[in-house]
Amino acid sequence: MKNLDPKRARWIRIRMGILCGMMGLGLGVIVSGAHRIQVEDGQDWYDLAERQRQRRLHVTPKRGTIYDRNGASLAESVEVPSISLDAVELLRGIEDRYLPMRIQQYGERIAQALNLPQEEVVDKISRRRRFVWLKRRVSEAEVAAVRALGEKNQRYPLRGLQIEGEGHRFYPNRELGGPLIGFVSPDGEGREGLELALDHELRGKSSEVRGLRDRSGRLIFSEGIEDEAALAGHNVYLTIDKGIQFTAERELEAAMKTYEATGGAVVVVDPSSGEILAMASAPGYNPNDYSVADPDARRNRCVVDRFEPGSTMKVFSIGTALAARSVNPTASIYCEEGNMAIDNVVIHDTHPAKYLSVTQILSLSSNIGTAKIALGLGEQRLYEGMRRFGFGDTTGIPFPGESMGVLRPRGRPWVSVETAAASFGQGISVTTLQLTMAMAAIANGGKLLEPVLIKRVTDGGGTMLSETQPRVRREAVSPTVAKLMSEMLVAVTEGEGTGVEAAIPGFRVAGKTGTAQKIDPATGRYTDTHYVASFAGFVPADKPRLVIAVVLDEPLGGTYGGGSVAAPVFRRIGEMALRYLGVTPRGSVPMKLSEVSDRAKVGDPATSTYQVLTEARAAVAPITAGVVTPSAPMKSGETRVPDLTGQPVREAIRAATAAGLTPTAFGTGRLSRVEPPAGTVLPKGSAVKLFFEPSS
Amino acid sequence: MIRGDVSPRARDHFDWPLFIAAALIAVLGVVNLYSATSVYQGVRAELYISQIYWLVLGGILGGILVAIDYRHLERLGYAIYTFGVFSLILVFIFAKDLRGSKRWIEFGSFRFQPSEFMKVFLVIALAKFLHDDPRSEGRTLKDLLVPALLTGVPALLILKQPDLGTASIHVLVFLMIAALTRVRWKSVLTFVVTVACALPLIWNYVLLDYQKARVTVFMRPEDDILKTGWHAHHSRVAIGNGGLFGNGYMKGTQNQFNFLPDQFSDFPFPVFAEEWGFAGSVLLVLLYGFLCLWSIRIASLAKDRFGAVLSVGCGAILFWHAFINAGMVCGILPVVGVTLPLFSYGGSSVTTMLMCVALLMNVSMRRYSVVPAPDRL
Repeated sequence: MKNLDPKRARWIRIRMGILCGMMGLGLGVIVSGAHRIQVEDGQDWYDLAERQRQRRLHVTPKRGTIYDRNGASLAESVEVPSISLDAVELLRGIEDRYLPMRIQQYGERIAQALNLPQEEVVDKISRRRRFVWLKRRVSEAEVAAVRALGEKNQRYPLRGLQIEGEGHRFYPNRELGGPLIGFVSPDGEGREGLELALDHELRGKSSEVRGLRDRSGRLIFSEGIEDEAALAGHNVYLTIDKGIQFTAERELEAAMKTYEATGGAVVVVDPSSGEILAMASAPGYNPNDYSVADPDARRNRCVVDRFEPGSTMKVFSIGTALAARSVNPTASIYCEEGNMAIDNVVIHDTHPAKYLSVTQILSLSSNIGTAKIALGLGEQRLYEGMRRFGFGDTTGIPFPGESMGVLRPRGRPWVSVETAAASFGQGISVTTLQLTMAMAAIANGGKLLEPVLIKRVTDGGGTMLSETQPRVRREAVSPTVAKLMSEMLVAVTEGEGTGVEAAIPGFRVAGKTGTAQKIDPATGRYTDTHYVASFAGFVPADKPRLVIAVVLDEPLGGTYGGGSVAAPVFRRIGEMALRYLGVTPRGSVPMKLSEVSDRAKVGDPATSTYQVLTEARAAVAPITAGVVTPSAPMKSGETRVPDLTGQPVREAIRAATAAGLTPTAFGTGRLSRVEPPAGTVLPKGSAVKLFFEPSS
Repeated sequence: MIRGDVSPRARDHFDWPLFIAAALIAVLGVVNLYSATSVYQGVRAELYISQIYWLVLGGILGGILVAIDYRHLERLGYAIYTFGVFSLILVFIFAKDLRGSKRWIEFGSFRFQPSEFMKVFLVIALAKFLHDDPRSEGRTLKDLLVPALLTGVPALLILKQPDLGTASIHVLVFLMIAALTRVRWKSVLTFVVTVACALPLIWNYVLLDYQKARVTVFMRPEDDILKTGWHAHHSRVAIGNGGLFGNGYMKGTQNQFNFLPDQFSDFPFPVFAEEWGFAGSVLLVLLYGFLCLWSIRIASLAKDRFGAVLSVGCGAILFWHAFINAGMVCGILPVVGVTLPLFSYGGSSVTTMLMCVALLMNVSMRRYSVVPAPDRL
């Protein structure tokens, strides 16, 4: 201010100076505060910020593949795009009062793009979760529509929509081994069968990965994901042989149809190792469409179902008696001419006879003879003998829902009539697998083996993690007794034996038939109309390679006996499997293909199976789609991309796989385009892209 | 007719440093606002455009204010003040409750905050009072009673809205102006003692719970990060994340990931500090420092007492706003709703601050006695 006396002016200047000083000091404090936060403690705050913006993400690794013993895929995971939503990200930065309006708008746009009901999408947005699946397995067009929603060049680009390759489980062989393999729920959890039992192995490590989200909601990994192969699920190689499994299922299916049986089970085991080569359960289902399958068909009857075995059980009763020396193998037993009363129950024989040798008791399947031997053995020793053969106990197979069977259903030792009934397989229950393993014990010289279903496990990179070795549970009978039993069981399939239908030309077959009456659940009594027909045996009898048990539930077509219903199934499976394994009859040359075609003319029902087997052996699955007409010569190791236009996803993938290509599927519906185009000659194993579009 | 309007001479005296400093802050503010609101979708993402509109509108208003010789204001001083107090009373009657406080009056979609303008009106009234009372001997507390009352009435009205930050600014601006006058040492002493005694009473009977909580949290910041300390904590994380040279424009992760609250109105400084680092913080503080010191310089060169007090008052408004806002985001002061002058988004705030700059310009341009005092209208 001017025009003041100097003294006052000086004072005012001083006060203004003080004011300037105060202001300068104040702002200096601010600068020092900023310096402290940004420079001195900067690193600490930076670290804190780093922690805040990092997101922990769960990365679900690729589920492992299930292979058969020769490396043919039984279940594999295919990447199919799916759309997920981060609703928090989508709604970020919208003022509260606009929220309901925006949720409706966004819901409508997303619903349109994905062909979903609008209410459903709005509901999912409203829940404001950080992760929710909007639609799984979407088509190429839908993926494009979702991409368009996120384009930056519009007024309201949608954020938080993510296109993720989701592992979709695919079973290339459809029904093959369905009840055995089981299926996986859409969220990647094994639900039934081996998918459930091996879920932990197959699933791999779901690892936490730290990542950042950039402004558009996309993910930026701040640290590289670990080696993906290390995270991926383990691959499991089963002991199952796809070819034998196929035969077993086919024959079982055919027998079921022929005899109008309600169900059936077949187990094929290598008696030297306990490895299960085939495990067929009928009716089966296609795990690719598990949701439409009858839950009854999803059950693996070989392991889960128990049944009264009937006469097949005589093998183990007599085996136990021979081991205990309570009966002499050369003894002759009076069989009461077909009727014998124990307490107040009368036991009948189908072939009434006076005196029968032990061998004849088995080959003619005499109930009375077996009962007499069992009563001579005694209740306790019979029970213990059956236990030693593995009945009434779990087998050790890693399969969910295994039944133990029941030896003493009333929880107390048997009374005489029960002992007699148990000796010929009535009043007790067993599983098909137990029966097979017990028969394998006779076949391999008396050793009860643990059934092996998983041959080996490898990690995603192919490194072997574990390999299952044969494991002997116990010696059920001595090798001498086992050998003796084998010889006696050969008689069953020869001459007048009940199991002649099981005989395989050129081989000696050992086995035993079984025809068990079923209990009518309504009356609680045995019926004359419902039976379980079974046959368990091994081949060749001297040097067994295969143990096969066949069980058919309630065959109704006039014939119901194990000898006439189950034994032929044994023969067909055994015949094909031996040929497949390259086991030739003694003193004969391997069958030539010309002979096979000769047989085909005769119309043997087994022939068609044989052809399939030959194909399976060449590691080529039967192809129903995509027949290629070669127009240019191909070198070995090359293949032609088949024309699959219009095929549904699974057919197309299967056909492409069969053609030796590695397909990747995009979208759903019918095949519209293949890259590279059909007809192109490629090295085997080349990748092809299959684009599908919904047929409208 | 009004004489002494912008004459060719006055135009020659246009205060370029003042203009450039203010314009620089405003431009930085818009640029920063663009980044700060880019996390939003829809209307809020376009706040920077509204801010430009406000700056243009405030600029025009300021231009008119510069054109009118400030000495007209001296005559209208009390009338303007009364208008301001009246509008504050209107707030109580008409204002809508927004997040627990009543601060805004709405005219259709247009909304303004009388408490913002009141600061300038108070400065004009105080300048008028001191201009009319040019005593040279030391003042007693009794002599300062009238200006204290002039300050107290609007301050209390605003405190009841409740808006602790703006109310404090009124008191602080008054104290700064009072510091310019000659007050007896005895009176200063009495005042200090009285305030020391009154503080506990104010704490207990005047402050509301949430205001107390903010102060408590300020004393022990790490106690309560999730609730009351949330804003302070996250603004410090953002500032600290900037480091020495910042993350770069549009790359402030704390802002972009939406960790910062109210980043357009009360917390634009952390966004700026995160993106431009300590260097940016210093630049911004230096700009405010320059504005404040320049306003004292304008005051010291002012032609009359009214102009001098007006300049100091406007400088004080800018200073306290900048100091309190930057102080709270740095954790030096408790969190109160005070904007960063010319930098924060907000129509009332921007207009008020541009009025302050315009008044400073007005005084600065007429510092030479060439233009005689205008006659009464």
